[in-house]
Amino acid sequence: MIEHGFKIDHEKCRGKLACMRACPTGAIRVKEGKAEVLSDLCIDCGSCLRVCPSGAISPTTRSLKEVKDFKYKVAVPSAIIFGHFPMGVTPAHVIDGLKSLGFDSVYAYVVEVALANRAIRDYVENWKGRYPLISSNCPVIVKLIQVSYPGMIEQLIPIYPPREIAGREVKQRFSEKLGIPKDEIGAIYITSCQAKTISILESAEGVKSNLDGAIGISDLYNGILTATFQKQKKDNDQKLLSKDLLHGMEMLQWSLSKGQRTNLQGYRYMSLTGLSNVIQVFDDIEKGKLRNIEFLECYACWAGCINGNLTVDNFYVTRTKLHRLMAELPENDPWVESEVKRRYAKENCYAKADIKPRHLRSDMVDIKERIAQIKQAEDILAALPGLNCGLCGAPDCRTLAADIALGISQKTDCVFFSKDRLEKLRRIHLNNKG
Amino acid sequence: MAEELFKKVFTVHGGNFDRAGESSTEIKDKLKDLNIDANLVRRAVVIAFEAEMNVVMYANVGTMNFIITDEEICLEISDEGPGIADIEQAMQEGFSTASDEMREMGFGFGMGLPNIKKNSDFLKIESDVGKGTRVFARIRLNTDD
Repeated sequence: MIEHGFKIDHEKCRGKLACMRACPTGAIRVKEGKAEVLSDLCIDCGSCLRVCPSGAISPTTRSLKEVKDFKYKVAVPSAIIFGHFPMGVTPAHVIDGLKSLGFDSVYAYVVEVALANRAIRDYVENWKGRYPLISSNCPVIVKLIQVSYPGMIEQLIPIYPPREIAGREVKQRFSEKLGIPKDEIGAIYITSCQAKTISILESAEGVKSNLDGAIGISDLYNGILTATFQKQKKDNDQKLLSKDLLHGMEMLQWSLSKGQRTNLQGYRYMSLTGLSNVIQVFDDIEKGKLRNIEFLECYACWAGCINGNLTVDNFYVTRTKLHRLMAELPENDPWVESEVKRRYAKENCYAKADIKPRHLRSDMVDIKERIAQIKQAEDILAALPGLNCGLCGAPDCRTLAADIALGISQKTDCVFFSKDRLEKLRRIHLNNKG
Repeated sequence: MAEELFKKVFTVHGGNFDRAGESSTEIKDKLKDLNIDANLVRRAVVIAFEAEMNVVMYANVGTMNFIITDEEICLEISDEGPGIADIEQAMQEGFSTASDEMREMGFGFGMGLPNIKKNSDFLKIESDVGKGTRVFARIRLNTDD
């Protein structure tokens, strides 16, 4: 069973079908008035989480309480958090806020972004295989390729995202400094989406993450703001400048959807966001189109991670704030450069294992039987109404037909063929309405 | 004799650039649904797409037969078009008769037929100048024998 970045609370689920209709891979069924996920098909995009009207779907992030078990707790925040607060709240306030919520230390992965950038540049430069190369920063894109475009797996760049390099560094550094074992140091990622959470709990390449879980920005937002306001009333001490904490603009740049453009200047580069756009372009690539693009930076969320489902502000607002913050920072910073020089030669930035295709239907029947199933599904589809109403509990008639051929649904799930189905739905959805 | 398991016929219209590639997308979805090895799917899709584009760019109309047997994926494309005078020359990488306009659009780099050849295990091309071209491409399903 594959773990996913969210859980559905069946107590709260009212079977309103919103998640089923929003799912881009058709992975949700609502047969008995409760949503169920077909685990193999789910790519953790979180579309269902956004649309649930009953609040029944929640991300598998950690709570602050769980994190307290670690002897020493280090927050590793995504740069997006710095673009999330009102004007007067600086990165220094955010870091203080995180500490007041129970973190012993906050680690801004400035150098790790520069390390990852450097590793990506070297990888692209030495690449002899098929183009375009594809960034692996967005875990949903990685899973989409594993599930739907297995032929493109070799085009995924196998470089760790900065958060993973940072997790390793945090454990190493604080364990040396404090003289306690690495596993007593909790490296907690502060994330903009639930997909990164699951990439930590169960990575695509199947090896243990360097981080110990993630907490959503939205879970900490109120706490940070409250702490900042209380503190501002008490003291007016000199805060550290953004420049002292973030050094150059590289970390903030990374968090934006065109984060690699500056890093890969001179290469034929394309950035795209939004799962439907990514799917369209991947389809073209599979046909052999777009041969002239060398590097693709893709994100499942529209506008990229700033629009992740655990963010708070509208992404235009976040982007504007990040741009304003970037304007205060130099493009490059000599300290970051010297750190990269020191660490790049001795640190391995490559992921520990290869990403493999995720095979659907492991109980796959042989090709003849499958063709018979497909033909049967086509015949069934021809008999269905084609209204895609979803009342059968599948997202559309085509999916119901395929499910019937596979033996996991019946034709009587369709309200056009069964009064019982309609009666059942009436009981579930109208029971309190006279 | 190989047993035919599945067959679908697509019509491809010349000059229909906006819808070009739809048949190859359908072929891809079908092959994926059959859990056929990703590499074979990729090869078949490249063949289908290049062949489809050749019809769209040069011919009036064509048909593409997509057949799956227990041994092979077969793609047979026949068109009513200008035909190819010198097939050997057309098979060379970079040789192209595409117009400047087509090249500006990113088509016609002279890689169509060479790409089809590169991705098929068996290829036969027949052509009558002024009448049309027939392309027969096959990919073996079982790569071990």
